[in-house]
Amino acid sequence: MSNAKAKPLGLVFFPAFDWAISPTHPEREERLLFTRDQVLEEGLLDLPQIREYKPRLASIADLERVHIGVPDIASLITDAHRVSAGGAITAAESVLRGETAKAFALVRPPGHHAMRVVHGTRGFCTVNIEAVMIESLRRKYGLRRVAIVDTDVHHGDGTQDIYYHDPDTLFISFHQDGRTLYPGSGFPNEAGSPAALMSTVNIPLPPGTTDQGLHAVLDELVLPMLADFQPDLIVNSAGQDNHYSDPLANMAVTAQGYARLAEKLRADVAVLEGGYSIEDALPYVNVGIILAMAGLDYRRVLEPDLDRAPVQSAATTAYIGKLIADWQGKWANREQLRRSALAAAGNSWKRERDIYYDDSQIMEHQRESIHYCPHCPGYMAISTESSGSRTGDKSAFAVVLQQESCLVCRERGKDALIKAKRQRDHQYFVLQDKKEDSCGRI
Amino acid sequence: MLVGIDVGGTYTDAVLLDAGKVIRQIKVASEHGQVLASILTALDEILQGIETQCIERVALSTTLVTNAIVQGKLDPVGLFIMPGPGADWRGRLAAEPLVLSGYVDHRGRERQEIALDEVKQTCKKMAGVKLFAVSGKFAVRNPAQEQKVAGILAAAMQPLHIACGSTVSGNLNFIRRTNSAYYNAAVWQRFQDFADAAAAALAERGVQAPILILKADGGTLPLAKARELPVESIFTGPAASVLGVMGLCPPAKPAVSLDIGGTTTDIALWKGGAPLMDAKGAAINGYLTAVRTFRLHSIGLGGDSWLRRDGDRLLIGPERKGSAMALGGAEPTVTDALIVAGLSDFGDRGLAEAAIQRLVFPGKSLQETAQVIIDQAAEIVANAVREMLAIEAAAPVYKVEDIVRPELLRPELLIGVGGGAAGLTPLIAEKFKLAWQVPPLAMVANALGAALARPTLHISLRADTAAGEYTVPELSLRLPLNDRRYSIQQAVKQAALHLQEMAAAAGITADEIETTFGEEFNLVRGFSTVGKIVHVGVQIKPGIIAGLIDAAATGGAGT
Ligand SMILES: [Zn+2]
Ligand SMILES: [Zn+2]
Repeated sequence: MSNAKAKPLGLVFFPAFDWAISPTHPEREERLLFTRDQVLEEGLLDLPQIREYKPRLASIADLERVHIGVPDIASLITDAHRVSAGGAITAAESVLRGETAKAFALVRPPGHHAMRVVHGTRGFCTVNIEAVMIESLRRKYGLRRVAIVDTDVHHGDGTQDIYYHDPDTLFISFHQDGRTLYPGSGFPNEAGSPAALMSTVNIPLPPGTTDQGLHAVLDELVLPMLADFQPDLIVNSAGQDNHYSDPLANMAVTAQGYARLAEKLRADVAVLEGGYSIEDALPYVNVGIILAMAGLDYRRVLEPDLDRAPVQSAATTAYIGKLIADWQGKWANREQLRRSALAAAGNSWKRERDIYYDDSQIMEHQRESIHYCPHCPGYMAISTESSGSRTGDKSAFAVVLQQESCLVCRERGKDALIKAKRQRDHQYFVLQDKKEDSCGRI
Repeated sequence: MLVGIDVGGTYTDAVLLDAGKVIRQIKVASEHGQVLASILTALDEILQGIETQCIERVALSTTLVTNAIVQGKLDPVGLFIMPGPGADWRGRLAAEPLVLSGYVDHRGRERQEIALDEVKQTCKKMAGVKLFAVSGKFAVRNPAQEQKVAGILAAAMQPLHIACGSTVSGNLNFIRRTNSAYYNAAVWQRFQDFADAAAAALAERGVQAPILILKADGGTLPLAKARELPVESIFTGPAASVLGVMGLCPPAKPAVSLDIGGTTTDIALWKGGAPLMDAKGAAINGYLTAVRTFRLHSIGLGGDSWLRRDGDRLLIGPERKGSAMALGGAEPTVTDALIVAGLSDFGDRGLAEAAIQRLVFPGKSLQETAQVIIDQAAEIVANAVREMLAIEAAAPVYKVEDIVRPELLRPELLIGVGGGAAGLTPLIAEKFKLAWQVPPLAMVANALGAALARPTLHISLRADTAAGEYTVPELSLRLPLNDRRYSIQQAVKQAALHLQEMAAAAGITADEIETTFGEEFNLVRGFSTVGKIVHVGVQIKPGIIAGLIDAAATGGAGT
């Protein structure tokens, strides 16, 4: 139990009551209405253990610290995206300024399907609000090691993409198995590019997983991994669609399961992601998470229809047990796995993918190359082409220079960009320079 | 003629108005603990030589309920709650409740029934108790369970009064509604006694005019209606003075008003010609209630604030050690400094100088010392105003539009009322480079506010077209609704009809009805729209029944 002197939970509640992807889309005005009602009726905003903050507007520069928008990020977003990303930053800053013990950005629209390169909206996400928050904190507060635990039912493929090459960011996602659910990714073999191998951890769970399975994964895998990684900051992408009543997925977690997870995870900042059982789950799950994060008693937060929550099958329990054991083995060997992957990669590492934007009906084809350097994290080049956008096909070539890229790599990266521009194979040429904190066309 | 009386802790103020002009104003010492006696002393003095038939109304702002609560003079109440599952309510309620099974959810659907036997069993433990409060979580969405429990109590306990959470407030917040209902029951008998005595005393004096009671939200209620909602008459002193500002010099521009009294200064913010309200409600004895109030920020600084030195530092308030030395007090006060600085002109100037002489700074004259003191006092108030504006700017909003294009309150005028206003207001305004105004009669703004306050009522209506019903919690109504396309406009119209009916029953004319909020959401299930939630609030516009003639023409003003 917290006492009056303990720091409160910072809460940014931003339901965006005037914003929707479309009138009947799951991401619509009504989504957090019943959550607001429950939060107000319980009188949570009156508690001294909870302090509400008004979200700030994230700037375009905040977004471009993470994203490369094609043609540019400003033309792809609405004001709501700047508020929700700004809300995540506001929440996190309340913690880093020492005003709050933890913070919860209960905001929409969500962000964890938004990747580094953005052509449109996918999985209801356009900008990755956690990544925008984390990069803002790194810039302003000098944080280095960050762990993100994505507890949404969908694989956080956008966050994974953004941190796939970053050994300082541990990204752990457990989700309903991609063979049975959007976005169809998030398998254990997606574990990071060689220099960051094993800093991406995917734990695909079978449909029907309950509190029992989720807490087994948490206790035996996620919490020990966090203890090993020793992050400066723990972020929870707090999607709520693992709930047994969620209409878009097939899991069986309860409000109690989520609240206990929040209590055990002790995230510094939680950021709402998905969750579309807006009447039967969200009011209870959100109240549970808020109480748990504020150090208050959440044990009486129970869904009225709790008796219809399924029980986990023995097969599912066994499957999850094996999944945990496999991961424990790999995790124990992570240093060695990374070393051999780097040795095998040589000077560079490449991947080529198709990325589908379901909300914008855009198909992107992307080629990424990481150029390694013995003295620094190297640099990255990205070639991207998209088709299907209402504003026509687009292409861009981008070079990303890291904060610690050495002078030689900086020159090489810029050369690669100039060379690409001369070849005129793309429409736009973008330099994202993390040292200069700039992103722009050349 | 209109009579307004404001009973404060130290003084009772009264005014008599005729045809928009104050024809008499008095200030008498309040009789400690004797609210009715204070009222009658003031009334007898102000009505001297007046034909009582000419009195059209008598409006009272009293500390009766506030004192009863603060002094713990509360009757035992049987407090029944139906909290259902959810957050822990323990430690948040003003009295130990009896917890019943049964609850409704956020859509107002009954998820667990009331256990009738349990209620009856609990009643047995309450022998002799005559006052009750009943409150259920989400009862504002469906008052049926509260009604059912109240029905059982009415049949079994011969109660004097049963307060239901959903009728004392239509707002979401189970904790606040429960506390409001509890206090309403706990002060009920005391208020009835007061109302009986007040009515009898006025009748004895031949005053046949209706008696109105001021509420914390600045409206009045006819005595008969006020008897149902005594908790609403807490903290009316500051509300009265805000209304006084409305009568004396209603600001057309965004403004800050200060009521600088003896020990405290109450700050209010004005937007669109009206003071901002506190949407959530007042705190009573550390417990939160749903009693609507103006949004006021109160600080411990006033004309009687005690001045003393602590080494090189000058300390001002928050304690009061009696009146100014210029008026025969024992200790130096802010008022003494104002007199020495030539900003106030009453009392004994020689005594005021003696007061400031005690504090004089090395190398500074008496005049300079007085200047330093009042500048520091002005700075304290200015800081409190800054803080209040900052809190207002940081108030959370829930729409993108309100973040991107915020309606920031940028005051253009500073208004001062109360005893210390004339001296301090210009100095505070100077710190903000604001125009300022201290209206005449600023000293009795509180009694004026009471005299002029309109009778008000407010209700909310929430329609759920998918469920096919609408609810007006304040009236315990839940009625069928068969219009899928029900709009905010229709809801406002319907709510206004209910409000007019309620007003007529209470003997109030409801000519100016305004919307306090309105929101509309489509209910989508699967990928199709199955209905709408429409939620509106309406009220009889609070304010004053008539402005004062030439009120703002004199008094002090400047830029
Ligand atoms: Zn999701
Ligand atoms: Zn290098």
